[in-house]
Amino acid sequence: MTTASSSSSELRDLYAEESARIRQEFASTGNGCAAVTQRTALVEQIALRLWTEMIDPEERGPRNFTLVALGGFGRKWLFPHSDLDLLFLHADRETEQAFKDRIREFSQGLWDLRLKVSPATRTLQECDRFDPANVEFAISLLDCRYLAGDADLFARLHDKIIPKLMTREAQSLLQRLDDVTRSRHEKFGNTVFHLEPNVKDTPGGLRDCNVALWLSLLSSIDKLHDWPDPNSPLSAAVRKQFEPALDFLMSVRCFLHLRSGRDDNLLSWEAQEEAAKLGIGMYDSQGLSAADWMRIYFGHARSIHRTATQLLDEIPAAWSPLSRHFHNLRSRVSDADFSVVDGLVFLRQSSALQDPEVLLRLFHFVAHHDVRLSTTTENKIERVLPSLAATPPRGAELWLYLGEILAQPHAAQALRAMHSLRLLTLLLPELKAIDALVVRDFYHRFTVDEHSFLAIENLHRLRQARSEWEKHYAEILAELEQPELLYLSLLLHDTGKGEPSDNHVVGSLAIAERCLERLDLEPSERETVLFLIGNHLEMSAALRRDIFDSATVAAFADKVGTPERLKMLCLFTYADIKAVNPDALTPWKAENVWQLYISAANQLNRNVDQRLHLDADANDEKMTRLRTLAPTAGKKVKAFLEGLPQRYLKTYAASEVLHHLEMSENLGKHPIQLDLKRGRHWFELTLVTNDRPFLFGKVAGALAAWGMNIVKATAFSNLAGTVVDAFYFTDRFRTLELNLSEWERFKRGISDVLMGEADLEPMLKSRLQAEEKKGTPKVKIKTSIQFDDQCSSNSTLVQVVAQDRPGLLHTVASCFANHKCNIEIALIDTEGQMAIDVFYLTTNRKKLAPEHLKRVEAALRAALQNGP
Amino acid sequence: MTKVEAIIQVSKLESVKNSLHEIGVEGMTVLEARGHGRQKGHTEFYRGREYTVDLIPKIKLELVIADTMVEKVVQAISLAARTGKIGDGKIFLSRVEEVIRIRNDERGEGAL
Repeated sequence: MTTASSSSSELRDLYAEESARIRQEFASTGNGCAAVTQRTALVEQIALRLWTEMIDPEERGPRNFTLVALGGFGRKWLFPHSDLDLLFLHADRETEQAFKDRIREFSQGLWDLRLKVSPATRTLQECDRFDPANVEFAISLLDCRYLAGDADLFARLHDKIIPKLMTREAQSLLQRLDDVTRSRHEKFGNTVFHLEPNVKDTPGGLRDCNVALWLSLLSSIDKLHDWPDPNSPLSAAVRKQFEPALDFLMSVRCFLHLRSGRDDNLLSWEAQEEAAKLGIGMYDSQGLSAADWMRIYFGHARSIHRTATQLLDEIPAAWSPLSRHFHNLRSRVSDADFSVVDGLVFLRQSSALQDPEVLLRLFHFVAHHDVRLSTTTENKIERVLPSLAATPPRGAELWLYLGEILAQPHAAQALRAMHSLRLLTLLLPELKAIDALVVRDFYHRFTVDEHSFLAIENLHRLRQARSEWEKHYAEILAELEQPELLYLSLLLHDTGKGEPSDNHVVGSLAIAERCLERLDLEPSERETVLFLIGNHLEMSAALRRDIFDSATVAAFADKVGTPERLKMLCLFTYADIKAVNPDALTPWKAENVWQLYISAANQLNRNVDQRLHLDADANDEKMTRLRTLAPTAGKKVKAFLEGLPQRYLKTYAASEVLHHLEMSENLGKHPIQLDLKRGRHWFELTLVTNDRPFLFGKVAGALAAWGMNIVKATAFSNLAGTVVDAFYFTDRFRTLELNLSEWERFKRGISDVLMGEADLEPMLKSRLQAEEKKGTPKVKIKTSIQFDDQCSSNSTLVQVVAQDRPGLLHTVASCFANHKCNIEIALIDTEGQMAIDVFYLTTNRKKLAPEHLKRVEAALRAALQNGP
Repeated sequence: MTKVEAIIQVSKLESVKNSLHEIGVEGMTVLEARGHGRQKGHTEFYRGREYTVDLIPKIKLELVIADTMVEKVVQAISLAARTGKIGDGKIFLSRVEEVIRIRNDERGEGAL
């Protein structure tokens, strides 16, 4: 007894002294790899001492019983407070029975030294048996290492049983690893970019290192039916990235364990501060800021995560029949440039990447098809980056591709891939300042760049909306004219956080302005993006006020200006809050955002016809911009704008207002001024002329006669009777799209109809007769006509909801003209097969009298019933 | 000790928090809530659809304080949350038998 207790106290002293020495050495060198190796050796030395004292005086005895290290102990990665995974391996049941008590004493001896032991006892035969309920044990055998006892027994396990088991059960083991890893990644939002990551479990943590090593080992054993070279389970290329990252993470985990005196793996803000100050994981620099040190951490975590996920994707046996079927479906999307094999994208021609356009199309392909880049494709991209950096694509060409990528359903995935390869910051250097940037507050869970990607992802995920309020948001997302502007705003909205400033919004605006300039966006597009970034906290701020108070709603709506911007800001707010952390967007908040949205939308429609009187608005921001753009045209601008609805100024950018003014000045040369543009989604025809009866209806009719489908229209008029009408239409028969020469003929045709030089009715009739043959629409929309005499002080509002059909707008507008109603404002919208047209009508600049209203309503109902 | 539960307007949270801090109340629990008293719901029409909000968003504050502080706290909340209109909210007071600080098992007012 005396001998046992003196031995025990001697071991305790040895363990304490050696542990202190390891701790001190780590404090002076910061070398985590050395610390785990030394602790492994120390624990091994103690285990052997206990073995010789309690099991057998010989380290290699007794026969038929072996002590095996598993898990981290097996890998020689024993962190200061890691558990000890041990296997007591027996040749048969008899030895198991014979050593039962001594094993208990042995384990007790380790426990007494405060070593946390996770023991497993198995016979050789049991190790050969695959237990689907305990796949983890089979996987842990991949790290097995001989410690003491019968070496021949261990050799039978290591050389025969394990390769046979792994080859036989490779499919199940890979599947299990795949499931467990993916569900762990999902738990952490599939991102390495957590503000306070867990260095073991977060994606890119040490557990991913294990997964990468296990996958490589399993895959090699499956191929060779034997163990691969123990020093290189990973390929040389992978090891080059992997090993420095592993070295760094080992140091960080050692630091965390020693700092807290327990198995603590959370890299908290306080721990980050200390680690940065001490230069943990860095052999050549100390005293970094916590943010810079975390960037280094994220860089390493990204390498590990990339290696682990690539291996998960590339080892085919890891797929279930279901995922194999899914990947096969993906393969069908291959095209002339890219082939998809097992869900991974390969280049058909390696040299193609020299062309930046092909590179951008590759990411468009990823964003569209939900596929991942293969390792070889990634390597090829990395090789062309230096030459791309010399002359990076920019301007409208870059925006064309970037806008398309952003609008695709898997845009966030493509952006993350571009970011991980450093391509995104090469194309948009503005994002460098927020690359892996940790900004500390109590709410955000992710780094600034990841938060921005997540916000974009949140909007795309609305396509699979489940809850009622998600469906509301999905509905307005589908209606956006240029959703890519919203996505670009989300990408840039927090760039200011990378600059030393108290107000990141101001910083983000300045950075965004430079970026938009480089991308060469249209002026109106720039205004929209800057508006969204500059006001991205406005809706959240309004939510802290009484959203049922009309003054709050009016002030908010006034700030937003137009329904399109309101939709964008509402979606922005939804996506931004939701990207803060998984619980940030409570149903309470989501419903309040929606409530504020509909109140503000109604407010905007109610005040749509308030007229501009410029003296009162002399200091308006838009007027200032107009004065800057056209310093000499001051009086002319004022005269042109006088009496136009406020909505006009909010609808158009300053440059567009000046263009309309220029068109109005040319009315002396020709009374019909037309401008035709092709946008990304539709054509836009702007008409500036002097107001006259049937004007709006005639343009609508002429467009229908040309086979154009009007999806939106606006009509505004000023005090002098100059109208600015805009029609947005799709070219159903590709007349304009395929024949540039037709543009002039088209404009002349419209002009002739308006000048009375061409007869609209026969043209329209023949077109509509052709359309009638096409049969009935799939979705039936019930016609509804609502009049509202209260919502405006000057006009009577009519809202027509009806089945969209060729000539509908012409029918409605002609009906108004026939009854001497002047269209002050028209807001025409189409959702699928439903037309939602709102008109503000006057007669002699006054609201419609009740009797007049009845006649108009009856005529309109009859006209809509009869069809065009 | 007394538990104070106050239902207030969302827009009044900041001023109520500031008033409570001024009289030395440091800790409180803030909950997002919905409900209505005499102030009934609110209806909006959007694209021909009716959106009725019969449960209005509110903030619920919960704090447990020493009995000597009750009147001061009630005054601070009332003054800061009052607009004089329907919907300003309510304050509920109830007795609390014991408070235990989980960290160190401290009990009574010292644990508040």
